[in-house]
Amino acid sequence: MVPTEYYVALSAIIFTIGALGVLTRRSAIMIFLSVELMLNAANLALVAYARQWSAAGADVALSGQAAVFIILAIAAAEVAVGLGILVAIFRYRTSSDVDGLAQVRL
Amino acid sequence: MIVGAVGVITLKQPVHAALSLVGTLLTLATIYVGLEAHFLASIQVIVYAGAIMVLFLFVIMLLNIQQDPGPGAFKWLRPAAYGVAGLAGLALIAAVTQNTPPLPAPEVIDATLAGGGPDAIGTALFRDFVLAFQLVGVLLLTGIIGAVSLVQRKAVSVQESETERPLEAVSS
Repeated sequence: MVPTEYYVALSAIIFTIGALGVLTRRSAIMIFLSVELMLNAANLALVAYARQWSAAGADVALSGQAAVFIILAIAAAEVAVGLGILVAIFRYRTSSDVDGLAQVRL
Repeated sequence: MIVGAVGVITLKQPVHAALSLVGTLLTLATIYVGLEAHFLASIQVIVYAGAIMVLFLFVIMLLNIQQDPGPGAFKWLRPAAYGVAGLAGLALIAAVTQNTPPLPAPEVIDATLAGGGPDAIGTALFRDFVLAFQLVGVLLLTGIIGAVSLVQRKAVSVQESETERPLEAVSS
C-alpha cells in the first residue's frame, strides 16, 4: 500500500499551489478557486492520516473522515456567500480585480 | 492531479481554470477511494465536482468575466510569490515526511475504517461530532439568509433607480 508520506506530500504540494494562486491572481473568482484547492489539500491530509491512525481504533480514525465531511459543508456555505458578495460587488464595479477594491461597504 | 492544480492557477480563461479544478477534484475522489474513504469519494464527486463547481461556472458565465488582467500595480509580487511558495512547499514536504510510523496491517485498516462507508462515518458524525454537526447546520442557515439578503438588497436598489429615473427625465 502507498505510504502516508506520499499522500501528505501531495497534499502539501496542492496546498502550496493554492496559496500561490491566491497570491498571484487578481480576479476575485480565481482567488476563490485557489482557496478551494487549499481546502481540498487539507481534506486529503485528513483522509490520509485517518488511514494512518486506524490502529488506534475506529473512534480516532473515523473522526478524520467525519471532519472532512464537515469541512465540505463549510466550503459549500463559504462558496455560496462568497459568490453572492462577488455578484453584488460586480454590479457596481464591472470588474473582479481585487486590487482596486478598497471600499467594500454593502 | 498536480497538472490540474497548476492549470487552475495558470490558465488565463476563468472557465478553463474552473474545468481544470473539476478535473483535480475528480482525481482527488479517486485518491479517496484508494484511501478507504468510499463515502467521501462519492460526496466529493456529487457535492464538490457537481454542485459547487456548477455554482462557480454559473457565476463566471453570469458575470461574463474576461481574462485575468495580469500583474498590475504589484509587478514584483509575482516572482516573489513563486519563490516563497517554492520554499514553503519544500519545507512542508520535508516537515511532513519525517518520522512517520509505518502503516498498520491492511486487515487492521479494513476492520477499522470499514471502507469508509456511510454507516461508519455516520456513527462518528452523530456521536463524536454532534455539536459540530449542529453548528454546521446553523452556519448553512446563516449562509442561506446572507445570500438571500444580498440578492434582496440588490432588488431594492434596482427598484429605486427605476422609479427615480422618470422623475429626473421630467424635471430636466
